[in-house]
Amino acid sequence: MIGAEVLVPNLVSPVVVSLYEPALIVGLLTGFIGLLGIAFKKGDLTALILTDIVGLAMLIIVAAVATDLAEALILPGLVVELAEILAISEILMSREMRKSGKTVELLPLPLSLDMEILETAPAFLAVILVAYGVFLTGFTGGVVAGVGILFYVLTRAIRGVPSNIFEGVAGASGIAWTLWLVGFLIFFVAPQIWLLGLFMSSLGILIKVASKAGLIGIMGREEFRKEK
Amino acid sequence: MDIATLGGQLFGYIPLGDIVLYFTPFNLFLFGGAVLFTFLIALSNTETQVEARFGTLKDREVKVGKAEFKIRRFLAIICGLATAGAMITGDLFNFTLFVALIGIVNIGLVGAVKMVDVLDSAFQYGIIAMIASLPLFGGAATILAATGTLSLIQLSTSNLITPMTQFASVLLLMGIAGETGIAPFYATKAEMFRTPGSPFLVIIHLSSLLVIIRAIEILLIINKPF
Repeated sequence: MIGAEVLVPNLVSPVVVSLYEPALIVGLLTGFIGLLGIAFKKGDLTALILTDIVGLAMLIIVAAVATDLAEALILPGLVVELAEILAISEILMSREMRKSGKTVELLPLPLSLDMEILETAPAFLAVILVAYGVFLTGFTGGVVAGVGILFYVLTRAIRGVPSNIFEGVAGASGIAWTLWLVGFLIFFVAPQIWLLGLFMSSLGILIKVASKAGLIGIMGREEFRKEK
Repeated sequence: MDIATLGGQLFGYIPLGDIVLYFTPFNLFLFGGAVLFTFLIALSNTETQVEARFGTLKDREVKVGKAEFKIRRFLAIICGLATAGAMITGDLFNFTLFVALIGIVNIGLVGAVKMVDVLDSAFQYGIIAMIASLPLFGGAATILAATGTLSLIQLSTSNLITPMTQFASVLLLMGIAGETGIAPFYATKAEMFRTPGSPFLVIIHLSSLLVIIRAIEILLIINKPF
């Protein structure tokens, strides 16, 4: 590493800097092991699973840079990885369906969720979760609030009460997305009012993540309705 | 290498914080070409493959259904826009993300066909594209580690050419070759063209051509061989 001494600020400990090269080598080795596995593969499904190891090695190499920017690069890398493995597994399923002539449902629902807790637990728990999620804000808060919505929908579905309260959640999700984008753009074009941008994007991402988790609940509920 | 030398002249740039878009005749021509082609295929209909049958006077037509046609058109437009984005972007990681998006959309374009052979080759291409994401993103991250920036404007002015950047450039080239399916990996991609629905499938080919041209510009900017 010739350039490292120039670029890395002095306050970073030399131990952290010296970790970069081992991490890079580990990432490349992991990828190589994954490729060896693909070379010795037994079937197409095995190849697909082993390809995921190569994808994880990519994440190791990106994470080895270990700056704020690298952290921002891991998320799109992970998303691309997931999208690719979904697309390829879809191709594999579609090909096997053509070969065998049988069709398979896209979502293997309805689940048989006959847990007692869904019938006896008070729906007030959902209110607590949503309120706590709003208090946390951001990604974590969105996940907590989404769990609350999911819990509410699941309990309603089990008890057989028709609820169409969350039909507008999909619309709110779209509006929150634009709010997040506008807040993000403010950081670039008008850095003076960064506080407004911060609040807009944090509120947007909260509603967005919460509604995503809630929408999973709605899909589950539709499947339950089909069963009955 | 200087951006103005490579692209003709520097018209100007839009600084959006860390992400700086720059405009040269080279970039604008590629961008305009991708957008124009996307516009054309957004308006067009699919072809119908006609095969003569042996022993009779009848023909066999292979048509694309309406639902499949709509999905294909949507994916082709996304692919065209991603190509246009890869042509104009001034950030190395955004370029790799656009290339990865093109790879995913290419798989989706042929994913709904009914021919087992085509699905088989699409699966092989998908595996190669996914393996290629390791050198693609790994190369971009290594360039970030070696030079401290991903902005192409800053990379063109920095004088840090170490073995690390050269190694990263080789990784990047391997990733782009795998993701767009050129020379060593072209066999599966040629098979994918046998599906009906021609104008949408041409975007697979066009996007890989344009991405290769832009990738050469980017590699010259990083390594400055002359």
